[in-house]
Amino acid sequence: MRLETDTSSVIVCHACDLVHRLDAIADKARVRCIRCQAELYRTNSASVDTAIALAVSALVLLLLSNAYPLVELQLNGSNRATTLVGAALGLYSQGYALIAALVLLTTVLIPLFQIVSLLYVLLPLRMNRRAPGQNELFRTLTHLRPWAMSEVFMLGAVVALVKLAAMAQVIPGVALFSYGMLMLTLSALTSVTPTEQFWRWVEGSRA
Amino acid sequence: MGRRQSSVTTFVMGRTLGLLVCTHCRATVRATGHSHATCPRCGASVHDRKPHSVATTGALLVSAALLYVPANLLPVMHMHTFFSDEDDTIMSGVVSLLHEGSWPLALLVFLASIVVPLLKLIAMGWLLVTVVRRSPGHALQRSKLFRLVEFIGRWSMLDVYAIALLVALVQIRSLAIIHVGVGALAFGAVVVLTMLAAQSFDERLLWDIRSDD
Repeated sequence: MRLETDTSSVIVCHACDLVHRLDAIADKARVRCIRCQAELYRTNSASVDTAIALAVSALVLLLLSNAYPLVELQLNGSNRATTLVGAALGLYSQGYALIAALVLLTTVLIPLFQIVSLLYVLLPLRMNRRAPGQNELFRTLTHLRPWAMSEVFMLGAVVALVKLAAMAQVIPGVALFSYGMLMLTLSALTSVTPTEQFWRWVEGSRA
Repeated sequence: MGRRQSSVTTFVMGRTLGLLVCTHCRATVRATGHSHATCPRCGASVHDRKPHSVATTGALLVSAALLYVPANLLPVMHMHTFFSDEDDTIMSGVVSLLHEGSWPLALLVFLASIVVPLLKLIAMGWLLVTVVRRSPGHALQRSKLFRLVEFIGRWSMLDVYAIALLVALVQIRSLAIIHVGVGALAFGAVVVLTMLAAQSFDERLLWDIRSDD
């Protein structure tokens, strides 16, 4: 079956199926459904360059976060430090491969995939080219968004630190700070690449 | 940021006009047939409604509800120290945070680990029941409840991360060693299953009954 795009003047709400008539999509707007108040689309004035800059910073921060220990624990003269991957490996070595995979995916691998694939799509787009498979990739990114949990991890780390502080001396590591920065960078990156904005960049480059 | 409302005269459904919305890139497309269709903008398959949404969400929700019991009853951590052997459940973790004097954090963990999963199970279950029984009314409130559930779901992972860090760090031989408990596996599964349940639910079902009238 063949479909035609019909985005010029009509928008159907993805949350309640109501049809809206639209005059023109503004450059910087957030439009909500008149009935169910779902966000129909959001565009901003951010450029592809802004998104690329944020993605590069996020990549550097993610590498830093994995190169240095998150926390160091000192107890009666012995000390122990762990990295993010080290924490996942610890779960794995105790026979909990599934939880280890869940932790590794949501804190390291999915954010890494998001950053790398955004760069892979946006860099050619900046030069008016299309990366092979960009549509599939961006679709996957939209779906993966709830599964990148850097901000949840930061709160979990705070809980763990408070519990540890009751029994030993705790020294926050470099990675804890860089991961905190990564959390902020990723949320900025997400807010400058809303779904509708991306597809507008794609359609703009074709013209 | 500019904020506008689009203009509508009467409530017309995309379904009645033969218009579909791509759930992936949210492009509005005109349907010209019936069977498999792909979005011309992003290439995803476009459906009138997400296929088997009620059955999929229901199955994921029932599995999550079953696992919620061991997730809360079984220990998520075992701690062996020089003096004692302790089992920690999710709830005893909250209580120990309270004893350590950080009640805001205890409240946070209590909300994220106990209240949020339970709220998700009850809310999603109720939404499914209203869809199956085709009860109209309160569509806006139900829609907002669904979006709340969708938004807060991931925060339950907080305890899983805390456990992962505790297990990795407290491995000091002869002084203190922490092992993962099987409850953590059940708990992680509850979080993942309820998130998948929310993802497979088609919000438009909440509005369909109303528009059919």
